[in-house]
Formats: sequence, structure tokens, C-alpha cells
Amino acid sequence: MFRFQSLDEDCTLEEEEEGLIEEEDDIDQFNEDTFGAGAVDDDWQEEHARLAQLDERVRDGLAGGDASSAPLPPPPGSVPLPSSLPRPPTSTLPPPGLEERGGGDLALSLTRLLLGSDPAIAGVGAAEPDRSCFPPMPQAPPSGLSGPSSSLLSYQQHQHILHRGGVPLPQVNSHSIWENNMGFGPVSVSPGLVTHMEDSPLMSIMKEVGLPKRPLPIRGEDGLDLSERVPPPRSSSPVIGSPPVRAVPIGTPPKQPLSHALNQQIHCPTAVHVRAPVQHRYPPPFPERLSPNTLLNIANAPLCRPPFPPGVGPVLSQIQRAQLLNSQVGPFPCGGPAPPMLPGGGGGFRPFFSQPPPRVGPHAAPPNHNPIRHNTTHLHPQHRRMLTQRMQSRGDRGGRGGDRRSRDPYSNLMTQKEKEWVARIQMMQLQSTDPYLDDYYYQNYYEKMEKRLERDKDSSRKEPTTKLITPQVAKLEQTYRPVQFAGSLGKLTVSSVNNPRKMIDAVVTTRTDDEEKREKQVWNKRRQILYIVEKMYSLLLEVQDFEKKFLQTPEEQREALLEQHKTHTLQLYNSLKEKEWDDRVSDEQCLMIMSVRKGKRLISRLLPFLPPPQAAAVIMGIARNLPALAKKDKQDQVLCWLVEPVAVVIQAMSSSALTDLLQELQGSEGQLPRVLQNKFGVTLLYLILSEGERMQSSDPNCQLMDDNRWTELVFSVTRELLKVPSSSLSPPLFTPPNLLSLFSRYVDRQRLELLQEKLQITALSR
Amino acid sequence: MYTGAKQSYQFYHPLQLFYSFFKSLVGKDVVVELKNDLSICGTLHSVDQYLNIKLTDISVTDPEKYPHMLSVKNCFIRGSVVRYVQLPADEVDTQLLQDAARKEAMQQKQ
Repeated sequence: MFRFQSLDEDCTLEEEEEGLIEEEDDIDQFNEDTFGAGAVDDDWQEEHARLAQLDERVRDGLAGGDASSAPLPPPPGSVPLPSSLPRPPTSTLPPPGLEERGGGDLALSLTRLLLGSDPAIAGVGAAEPDRSCFPPMPQAPPSGLSGPSSSLLSYQQHQHILHRGGVPLPQVNSHSIWENNMGFGPVSVSPGLVTHMEDSPLMSIMKEVGLPKRPLPIRGEDGLDLSERVPPPRSSSPVIGSPPVRAVPIGTPPKQPLSHALNQQIHCPTAVHVRAPVQHRYPPPFPERLSPNTLLNIANAPLCRPPFPPGVGPVLSQIQRAQLLNSQVGPFPCGGPAPPMLPGGGGGFRPFFSQPPPRVGPHAAPPNHNPIRHNTTHLHPQHRRMLTQRMQSRGDRGGRGGDRRSRDPYSNLMTQKEKEWVARIQMMQLQSTDPYLDDYYYQNYYEKMEKRLERDKDSSRKEPTTKLITPQVAKLEQTYRPVQFAGSLGKLTVSSVNNPRKMIDAVVTTRTDDEEKREKQVWNKRRQILYIVEKMYSLLLEVQDFEKKFLQTPEEQREALLEQHKTHTLQLYNSLKEKEWDDRVSDEQCLMIMSVRKGKRLISRLLPFLPPPQAAAVIMGIARNLPALAKKDKQDQVLCWLVEPVAVVIQAMSSSALTDLLQELQGSEGQLPRVLQNKFGVTLLYLILSEGERMQSSDPNCQLMDDNRWTELVFSVTRELLKVPSSSLSPPLFTPPNLLSLFSRYVDRQRLELLQEKLQITALSR
Repeated sequence: MYTGAKQSYQFYHPLQLFYSFFKSLVGKDVVVELKNDLSICGTLHSVDQYLNIKLTDISVTDPEKYPHMLSVKNCFIRGSVVRYVQLPADEVDTQLLQDAARKEAMQQKQ
């Protein structure tokens, strides 16, 4: 924004530069006016008053002045400026160069007036008011002078101080970038420059246009104590129209007490901020905000690490690490004992946040009036384990490129408190009262993984089943009533992160459409089926979750829950069965549902939850309609999902039911061949036969042989099996081992061998 | 503690499902395609409720016509600029995902 070459020098962040380049660019006064030196944030009323008084005086002085000087400074006018720079700070004003310009009178008089009136400025020297485009408007320029002049002065003092490197400078945190831009910051602190800076044209601009007021702690009497963490001042015109920015903007992070900045690290009051010497990274003489380049040169201490390195250096202790910025769910655990508050140990990223009272403990049944929130950002222990392993393997492989990343020059732009503040806000949104519901996928996924691992591995790995324990945070707030004013229409349009507001009141209305075309009919039908399936699914999910819920509800409510559960189950079955008959599943309904892949899935998941007689009925229905189902399944080929649950049910069936089932399967003429053509059919058949065989061999008194049905059925099956050409016999999913023994009961040797060959049943020893 | 919160909507984010889903993918390798056509392959480090993504050990999958990414090892991607996230298929339990979606729908209806 500033065009001075000298300023550019300062801005280029190279500290070695010593000399100022003499020539400068054109100073675009318009530009300067518009995008001045930043907001002035002292009391504009005061300024105005002062200005008004001055204005009068100026006008008097201007009486004979050269008006032409007002509009624009002659470009060459700016050039000699630097040449006039090298002056001792206490030089008297005005610089001789002033006279050279047109309008010097005005400038002169003004300068004298202003600088004279404010002793603080007097010592500064080089009031370069040819920017003395003091438009006749009573602008801030002079006002800006008086106001921030003190700060200006102090900066000068600062320069010296800095230079001597004596007094530790409390961090003037918020102004870093802007300081640099304005050439103000102690970026390049070389003696020559210091002097330059005092007299630079920049100064004059500053004085005219105004400076952001720096609440410098050195000046303890500074009443206006803005938060140091205020975001950099707006580079808007400080003058025309709007009053200067002074209030702490909305959303400013909480002010941190100054003492923090000044304290030695050791004495940092809260553990939260303890971060070893790294926190106050730079040697005290320098303000905290230095350009990255300077940082690299100055500070040799390892700087803050970038957000997520795989490992963290030894600089930070576990607790410190734990409190590091951590706005995301972080999967980096470290090995090592975890402090009790921080499950998972230290690490670069913590999935756990320094929420005020986080309680890590077993999940207790929440009292109703005080719902407890859960922090779902915790990782499942299984997950964490996986990640550690992965981390380790990667770490071994990749070596440590850590050094490269160890010095992140941009990591100091926010203080610890700010980072935590942001993180907390985000985390607040992630707490929920019912983590199981809100975090359904994640929790279930890892539970399933655990179960799978348990199944696969043998018990040699004696790890206890890990459960995800979501720590709880006490719920703070109650219902939110949006702000309303009496007698006003509508709602306020204010919404924020914390109280998001419903923007649209949308009401759902169902329209009945009477028009039906052919295709629409079909589509409607399908949609209807899907709709039914979805409805059933919701019921199914309820049923599935029953167990978990059961464990969670207190004693007295368990009865009610049980009842509810039963109702759900019944409902599920009812939707399948025939209207009148309890023990028979409606064919068309069943068929309808099973014609969609989702429906098949639904049934397969539903079966385990049904009581045995009902489950049996369902399977009967399936068996009965198998050919039709098989036909419809040609595209999806997913009937085989049913095998497992069906197997379970079959094994629990009674012998009569089994016989019935076999009969159903054979059903009408020609059904069996079609059944045999389908993989699922064959598998089902085998299952039935195998179960029968099991029954027979295990329990000689079983009723299977009581009537001849079973035998006859088996006979017909074998006949069919032999008759059917091999090509149309579909291989089953698996062949139960005891089929051979079954067949051997009923058929003679020759046929047995034929069967054996055809079905590729391996002979097993009995 | 930031005391300015008048009311926090816990889990306000309506699509909590995706957050939950991505959480389970933390530590896996994914490819993120952005709306500016940049594809980044990396390990999913973390995700938040806005589905902002942090990736580690990234590499630009397509021919490196984005040379400015050569030296970048880790990156943070704002959720709103993501077009696709390509996932390893065996890390996803579709059945569970469907159930979670159903639950979410039920929840939203209430």
C-alpha cells in the first residue's frame, strides 16, 4: 500500500538490507488517502475536537498560503525526502526540504502548529507534512498525529530499546503483519534504518493519516487497553465518514492477560499454556511477530511444529503435547503411559480436548433431567491400535524427515489460547447426548471389526475386548429460544455458530396424484415395494438395537422396553404374513418383498430375530415360491445371502417342520428341477437333507421316520437328482458332508455311485 | 472456556453420518478430488464435522502438472472444496452405511 521504496525495503523482510534506495515511486496521493496507514482507533470525537480547533488556526495561517499546494504534492517533492532523512531524532522541524516544495508555507505552518502543540511529536522530527495535502477538509491527518503520536514516539523509543536489546518487549502481538507492511516493525533493525525510520516519509504519512494505536504495555498508563489479539487494523480510510475502529470485533478470542506475555515461561500460570520455551519463541528483545525469514535467522530454537507431524520432538512433554492445537480428530497416539485425563497418551494430535470437565469414565446411565454429553471425538481403541501399528511401520520405513518440518516459521500466528478457543468451539458442536445414535456408523464399524478379529484370531492373543468409551461432558445449556421482539413479524436474521437458526419453515405436504400411466404403474409398484421395505427396515433396526438399549435403560423401564420390542417384532412378521392365517406367510407379499434386492437383504437380517415358528413359516414361504424367486433373482443373484440365516433356522426346526419344508420345496410338479437349477435351491435342499440326516443319525428315535413322508420325499429327490442332466444342476454353495450317508440309506450301491459322481460328493468315513 | 456461547447445538451438523463415516476411515489411504480438478492422494489424518480433511504424505495423483505441490507433505483441505473422495472399497461396510443412513433419516424426521 505504501509506495515508498524505503518502505518496500522494510517489507521485503530481509534484514540484511541496510541502505535505502533513494528514488521512490510516485506517491499516489489518492491511494494514500484511500488506503491509508490503517485505522485510527482512538476517540474520534476527541480528535475531531482537537482538529476543529486546529483547523481554525490553520485557516488563519493559510490566509496567505499557497493554495495550490494543497491538492497534490509534486512528485519530485517526494524524492528529496529520503535525502533529508538522516537526521538526529531530536532535530528541529521542519526539514529543510520542505521549503523546496510548493505549498511549503502551508506545510510549514501546519507542522509547526501541530508538532509544536504536541510535545510528544516534537522530538520526532521530520514531520513531513507535504502530504500536506491537507485537503481543507478537517481530516484526521492532524488528528491522527496527535493521537497516535505518542505511540509513534514510543515506537521510536522502541527502536532504540530494541536496538539496545535491553528491555524485554512484551509482545505486541496483533500488529505483526501490519507493522511489517508499514515498515514499522522491527524487521530490519539496523542502526541506519532506525534513524531512517524516524525520518522516513513514512512517518509523515503516519502522522497525517493516522496510526493504529498501539497499546504498548511499557506505557502503563495507557488507558485504552485493547486486546492485543485484535485482528490487524483494517486498512480502510480512517477518516471519511466512519469512525475509526476501536471496539474489539465480534468473535475476538478472549484477551489474554498481559502478564502471560511478560512472564518467563517457567512461571506460566496455567498448565494449558505451558509449552516449554517454545511458546515464547523469540528472544525477548524482539516482539513476537517477526517475519519468517527473520525468525529463521534469529530463533534457533525449534519452533512450533506444523500441525501434524507423525511424531513430536522431545521438547514438549506429554501434557503439553496433549494441549496442543488439535482441531481435528487426531489419530496420533504415542506409546507411553497416558495421563489419566488424556487417554491414549501424548502425541502430536490429540483426539481429546481440553474441555472443561471432561470425565473419562464408564458410561453411566444419565439421569433424565441432566443429560450428559459425550465427546465423540475419541477413537475406538481398536482404531487407535491400528493406527499405531501403521504409524510404526511407516516410521521405520520412512525414516524421519522431521527435521525438515521441525521449523515452521508460520506456526506462531496464533497463540495457544486462541487455538484452543477455536478448537473448543468446534468441539462443542461435536458433543452429543446419544453417541450411539449420532455416531452410529463409526461405533458399529469398529465393534464389528473387533468381533471379526476375535473370530479370526485364536485366543492366544489375550487382549480384552476393547470397548469404545465416550467420555462425557456435562450438558450446559438448555433450550434456546430465538430472540424475538414483541409485536414484530418474523424472526431475527441473526444466526451464528452457536445458535443456528432454521432459515426456512418448510412444511411437507403429500400430494395425491391420480393419474397413472402404464410405466408409472410399474414404477409405482416398485416404489411401493421399496417403501414397504424401508419401513420394515426401520422396524428391524429398532429391533436390532434393542439389546443395547435394554442394557442402558434403568430397571423400571425395562418392562416397557421389552414390550415394545415384542411389538416391533410382531409387526415385522405381520407385514409378511397372510391376513388371516398366523402360520403362513403371504405369498404375494413375500414375493413382492423378495423381488427387490433390498428386500432379500431385509429378510436375511430379519430371520434371526423372529421366533422359531414364525421363522419357519417364512422359510416355508420361500421354499414354496422358490422358482419364482429364482427367476426374479437372475439379475441380482443375491439369494445366497439367505443361506446363512436359513441354515440356522433349519437346524432349529423340528422333524415334522423339516419334512414339511422338504415337501414345500418339491411342491408341484416340475418344481424340483427348477429348484435344482438354482444355486440357492440346491443349497437349500442340501441343507434340509443334511439336517434330516443329522437328526436320524444322532437320535434313532426321531420322528422323522414315523410316517413315510420323509422317506418318500427323499426318494423322489434322489430320483430327480439322477434324472436331471448334469448341466442343469447348479453347484451348491457348499456340500454338507453327511449327504453321502443319507443317500446310502435310501439308494442301492449303483445309484449311490452315480449320485456320488454327479454331485461330486466325496466319500467320507462315517 | 469461551463463555460467549449462548446455546450450542450439539451435533448440530445435520449430516453427522459422514463425519462418523470418515472417522472410521482415518488412517486409510484416500484420494481426494477437489473442485479445481486437483487430485490428492494421501493418508487421511483427521476430519471434522465440516468434513474438512487433513491428509498426510500426500502426492498429486495425476501427472504432476501441479508442481507447486511437489514439496508439500501434509495438507489441510476445506470441506467445501472437495468434489470426490475415493475410498478403499474393503474399508467400507455398505450394509452398515445403509443402516446409518436410515437412522439418520429417522432422526431427521423427528
